[in-house]
Amino acid sequence: MDILFSTEEHRFREQCRDWLHANVPAERRPMDAAEAIEFDKAWQRRLFDAGWAGINWPVEYGGRGLSIVQQVIWLEEYARAHAPWIGANFVGINHGGPTLILNASEAQKEYHLPRILRGEAIWCQGFSEPGAGSDLAGIRTRARIEGDELVVSGTKIWTSFAHVADWQELVVRTEEGSQRHKGLSWVICSMHAPGIEVRPIRKMSGQVEFAQVFYDDVRVPLANVVGGLGNGWKVAMSTLSFERGTGFIADQVKQSQEIEELLERARATGAIRDDRIADQLAQLRAEVAALRAMTYRNISEVVRTGQPGPEASVIRLFTSELGQRLERMTLLLAGEAILDFRYGEDDLVADYLRGFAATIAGGTAQIQRDIIAERLLGLPKSR
Amino acid sequence: MDLTPSTEQDMLVAATADWCRENMPLEQARARPPHLWGELEAMGWTGMTAPGMDLDHASEALVFAELGRHLAPVALLATAVAARWSPHAGPAALALLDNHVPGGSLRVLDPHGAVQALGVLGHLAAVTPLPADLGGEPGLDLSVPIVHLDPAPPFEALPDPRAALHLQLLAAAYALGCADAARDMAAGYAQVREQFDRPIGWFQALKHICADMAVRCAAARSQLYYAACAVDADTPDAAFHIAAARQLADQAAIDNGRANVQVHGGIGMTDEAYPHLCLKRAHLLSFVAPARRQTLLGEAA
Ligand SMILES: Cc1cc2nc3c(=O)[nH]c(=O)nc-3n(C[C@H](O)[C@H](O)[C@H](O)COP(=O)(O)OP(=O)(O)OC[C@H]3O[C@@H](n4cnc5c(N)ncnc54)[C@H](O)[C@@H]3O)c2cc1C
Repeated sequence: MDILFSTEEHRFREQCRDWLHANVPAERRPMDAAEAIEFDKAWQRRLFDAGWAGINWPVEYGGRGLSIVQQVIWLEEYARAHAPWIGANFVGINHGGPTLILNASEAQKEYHLPRILRGEAIWCQGFSEPGAGSDLAGIRTRARIEGDELVVSGTKIWTSFAHVADWQELVVRTEEGSQRHKGLSWVICSMHAPGIEVRPIRKMSGQVEFAQVFYDDVRVPLANVVGGLGNGWKVAMSTLSFERGTGFIADQVKQSQEIEELLERARATGAIRDDRIADQLAQLRAEVAALRAMTYRNISEVVRTGQPGPEASVIRLFTSELGQRLERMTLLLAGEAILDFRYGEDDLVADYLRGFAATIAGGTAQIQRDIIAERLLGLPKSR
Repeated sequence: MDLTPSTEQDMLVAATADWCRENMPLEQARARPPHLWGELEAMGWTGMTAPGMDLDHASEALVFAELGRHLAPVALLATAVAARWSPHAGPAALALLDNHVPGGSLRVLDPHGAVQALGVLGHLAAVTPLPADLGGEPGLDLSVPIVHLDPAPPFEALPDPRAALHLQLLAAAYALGCADAARDMAAGYAQVREQFDRPIGWFQALKHICADMAVRCAAARSQLYYAACAVDADTPDAAFHIAAARQLADQAAIDNGRANVQVHGGIGMTDEAYPHLCLKRAHLLSFVAPARRQTLLGEAA
């Protein structure tokens, strides 16, 4: 065991730092939704042109193909440089793209992957439904086959970026009468197709960042099925395991930055002299350190065995709850000023309110605990 | 000793709850109609604490917990305390004097129609007359407009320390009501929302979240009753018991507010669902005459 990086890794870190220093835009991501998308696209394009797009994607598909240790280094430097949040490119780069890489035909890859990498196509993820949240296998949105097309009807909900997306990774029931995990298919659906209606949903922070999507006989070419008809569950799970594998690194890096910023603020305002606050900050700083150690340990496991250990689910839960503790600390330090929050404004209160998603979206904290107890500890399965 | 409400008190609570459900539903708490205040006045909620009404603190606490459960206007708190203790007559807005930095601007909550502002400074409540039509903008809690007074006007301290305790007690009742509302909303949803072919409340993880919400409410409610009776009995440790009630009610309101969102899952994060109304109110109330650590530790100030 060893915590030191190699000479090459140090050199790589310098490379990242230099490029980021010269290229990170000075302006913040705009508040206006349409402007924000343009900003996201322009930033993605800049990353692409310099060869930094898709750091975790294989080189043969245009990615950077970084080793997992290099990914960590890049993300650490990325956060340190206050580089922009990935924004609307999140699903394409982190979900849709990787799923295509693992499961799609050459033709599908050839068309979609470059567009995602260049920031030309925005993707969204249509998995959850009003009746299928934690119980994802309860999906009811149907697609019947007509000639060489699928005809989709039903509804998806909580679809982030639906109102700005060009494409959707959509999981639908293609086998009539099929149950649970069987008879589902993962399809590439154009968000511009006739019959799609997007009803934006406002969050309690005032922002409109997700939507309910209605499908009224939406026609999708059969050629857009990924991984074969009826294999949707398997294909969807490959995305999720990707997300649970290395997806947390960015959060970890962000949190180690947040705690230092909190500390600075507490020192500047004198809040640190309050023992209760000092104690909590001390605790949080220890937890952030442990999160980094957990992450490094997990990454080492990947380097050694090729896949993240079962502890990945522990890290996921720990990160999401630690993030919420950090957000509460931010509120505490802000004091009464939080009362002046303006609905829809992007500030620390909005971050706090949106932060509830960490223990809900993509598997709630309760489901995560089930996974840890059952898969890690071997406790009896409750479902 | 008897810490259960009397029959009359039960009737008072039931009548209050009925009226609130009909006229001031929580579901409409994002913005209250302008005529609501007049209705509250007509029902007597603004004057029930005036001298001569002879209502005991226990009854007041019970009624204010019901009002708080429906996220009633926070000006009712200030107005109720002013009715008994202020030299000025009329509706009072709530001034957040506790953390006010001298020279800085002062936040005043719910200023519409108020003729005075009341808050707590140290051990004493303090008041100041307000000019008409101060305006105010909604903030975190959408139902509570806030105005910044800059510079802050001079406040006149009310010499009787019981005025400040009164505000703390009523604020504790409000926070408890808010915690109750979140608990009931969560338990209600856990019974009707189904995943995996059964109500989510079937799962122990969710049951336990809801049970914890109930425990917080029970502790805060018991302590609220005890504190109210301590004031009525004029015991020397009344200030401590009120501070304890305030502390527990605040914690219950915020923790239950958060848990309620979690129990609702995705829909709990939306503007159109109701959990956020309780959560935001809980955060707001935590700034209204909060418990002081010295009082809780039994240290003389
Ligand atoms: C901000 C945000 C963005 C999202 N973006 C997307 C997106 O882009 N695409 C997409 O497809 N989905 C998205 N989602 C949906 C998300 O994945 C679901 O919200 C999540 O899976 C939970 O489902 P639900 O909301 O239906 O809650 P429910 O499943 O109804 O859960 C309600 C409560 O019941 C609990 N519960 C349910 N089952 C169990 C159990 N077996 N044991 C114990 N407790 C249980 C939950 O933990 C929760 O507390 C997003 C959600 C949020 C909040």
